[in-house]
Amino acid sequence: MAFAQTLGKSWVVTLLTVRYLLSTRRVIAMALFAVVPVLLAGSLALARVRTFDILLFQVLMVPLFLQVVLIFVTLVNATALIREEIDDNTLPYLLTRPIGKPAIVVSKYVGYLGTVLILLIPSVVLAYVITEAYSGVPIGSDADVLGGFLAVTVLGSAAYGALFLFISVLLRKPLAVGLMIGFLWESVVGSIPGNVPKLSIIYYLRSILKGTIEIGPLTGFPTDVSAGLAAAILVLLSVAFLVAAMFVFQQNEFRQKA
Amino acid sequence: MSDVVAARDLSKWYGEVLGLNGFTATFGPGITGLVGPNGAGKSTLFKILIGQLRSDKGDVRLLAEDPWNNVPLKRRFGYCPEHNQVYGWMTATRFVETLLRLDGLPAADARTKASDALELVGLTKAKDRPLRTYSRGMRQRAKLAQALAHDPEVLILDEPLSGADPIGRVQILRTISKYAREGGHVLMSTHVLYEIERVTENIVLIHNGKGIASGNLHAIRALIDKHPHAVRIDTPQPREVAQAVAGMDHVVGIEMSTADGLLVRTRQPDAFYRELPEIVVDHGLDVRGLESPDDSLEAVFRYLVG
Repeated sequence: MAFAQTLGKSWVVTLLTVRYLLSTRRVIAMALFAVVPVLLAGSLALARVRTFDILLFQVLMVPLFLQVVLIFVTLVNATALIREEIDDNTLPYLLTRPIGKPAIVVSKYVGYLGTVLILLIPSVVLAYVITEAYSGVPIGSDADVLGGFLAVTVLGSAAYGALFLFISVLLRKPLAVGLMIGFLWESVVGSIPGNVPKLSIIYYLRSILKGTIEIGPLTGFPTDVSAGLAAAILVLLSVAFLVAAMFVFQQNEFRQKA
Repeated sequence: MSDVVAARDLSKWYGEVLGLNGFTATFGPGITGLVGPNGAGKSTLFKILIGQLRSDKGDVRLLAEDPWNNVPLKRRFGYCPEHNQVYGWMTATRFVETLLRLDGLPAADARTKASDALELVGLTKAKDRPLRTYSRGMRQRAKLAQALAHDPEVLILDEPLSGADPIGRVQILRTISKYAREGGHVLMSTHVLYEIERVTENIVLIHNGKGIASGNLHAIRALIDKHPHAVRIDTPQPREVAQAVAGMDHVVGIEMSTADGLLVRTRQPDAFYRELPEIVVDHGLDVRGLESPDDSLEAVFRYLVG
């Protein structure tokens, strides 16, 4: 009974989070960012670029979608979950309700994940459909490519979101640190020799793409980690960062801004 | 009944700044006012009571329980914060209803109780408007509604009258009184002694993080009657309001400081607060808010602290 009640309350926080993330003006900027792959695919199709096909789609989606759109959308939304409520002085309304602090963190994370996937998945699917339609091939011809990018969208959103959420409960200014991690570390670490690239989320996302896509430029990514193992590592990372965020949030005090 | 709040040697540091300094006091049943100037430690104490902050030293009990990370205790109190922020994109109904769902109520019950609470605070007509369109006084009432909607044992109200318009103040005080008459306990902070006077005789005075006096209001009030009480009135009609209040024989001074307000000094603040709403209505005046600088209270504290 108590567990059912906690689930019910958690669901309320999740819905509150989704409504909050989709109701602010920020969602317009996020939606514009999210449709960049669609706009690019559409532009290439309209311009009748001869070389635009599923191979070019793969080449463009890694730097554009994985390394910019995904990171930016997850960073902005995940850091807003707790930190904005603190800055907006609305967190006391949640903290004075009979729901544990860890449950608040998890519920907000679930709300974040739902919101981000609502923004990103249609964009990935639509960009793929435009590419296939332009190439004149059946939509399902390269289902492995679509499957790979959907998988990295989900797992990347989960992992980056948990990481940025943890940073936001730890630090007062999480956006700056998040930008450094997301756009500096994740971009640069791949060129460092040895096992250092394995200290980045993007490494495992690219390993998944290599393991799921049969033909294309992404199959040449240098990794000894299988797609399945990479997915498991990303799930573990997500859980680890989420648990860390729950722990820190449980111990934290919250001084309101004057 | 045992004390609603028992604080013993409570201290809280914000870095090098002392928010509470060995605060010791008890709050009994009924309505108790926590009175002190800005920065005295009132909000700090309340945040420790609701479990948002943790004391660095000493002991505190709310309803005989330690409030830090105490989830079941949160069902037993309602909190109205001092600041004016709410979820502006929500309607008042949705705001109160959502928080009632977090208290464990099913959706249908939450809807009914939200409606009842908003009616109690006089927001029935505006309940389906987004909170960002509310005036400051209306937000105060919405915050009060979410605090008492789940029928808590204790209301913890941090400056509930701050910035409220005259009609709003009457409504809020009426709601608090009714709640206490029906068996609830109220802890209410203010920096204006005369706000508390309308609802209770039990007060605790706090200054520089310490409890300096507690007990009956009248004895303490007698100390400050020699000092005129200042009231700032926010209005787009300062001249008209000045003309209307100048007729009150206890008003000793009026300063037209800005284009959207004036400062009134009165020797009988209780009479001023009592008579003002009628004057506002009779003259058709537009009064947006009332605030009291705590000059008079400072005089009391200087007397008590030495």
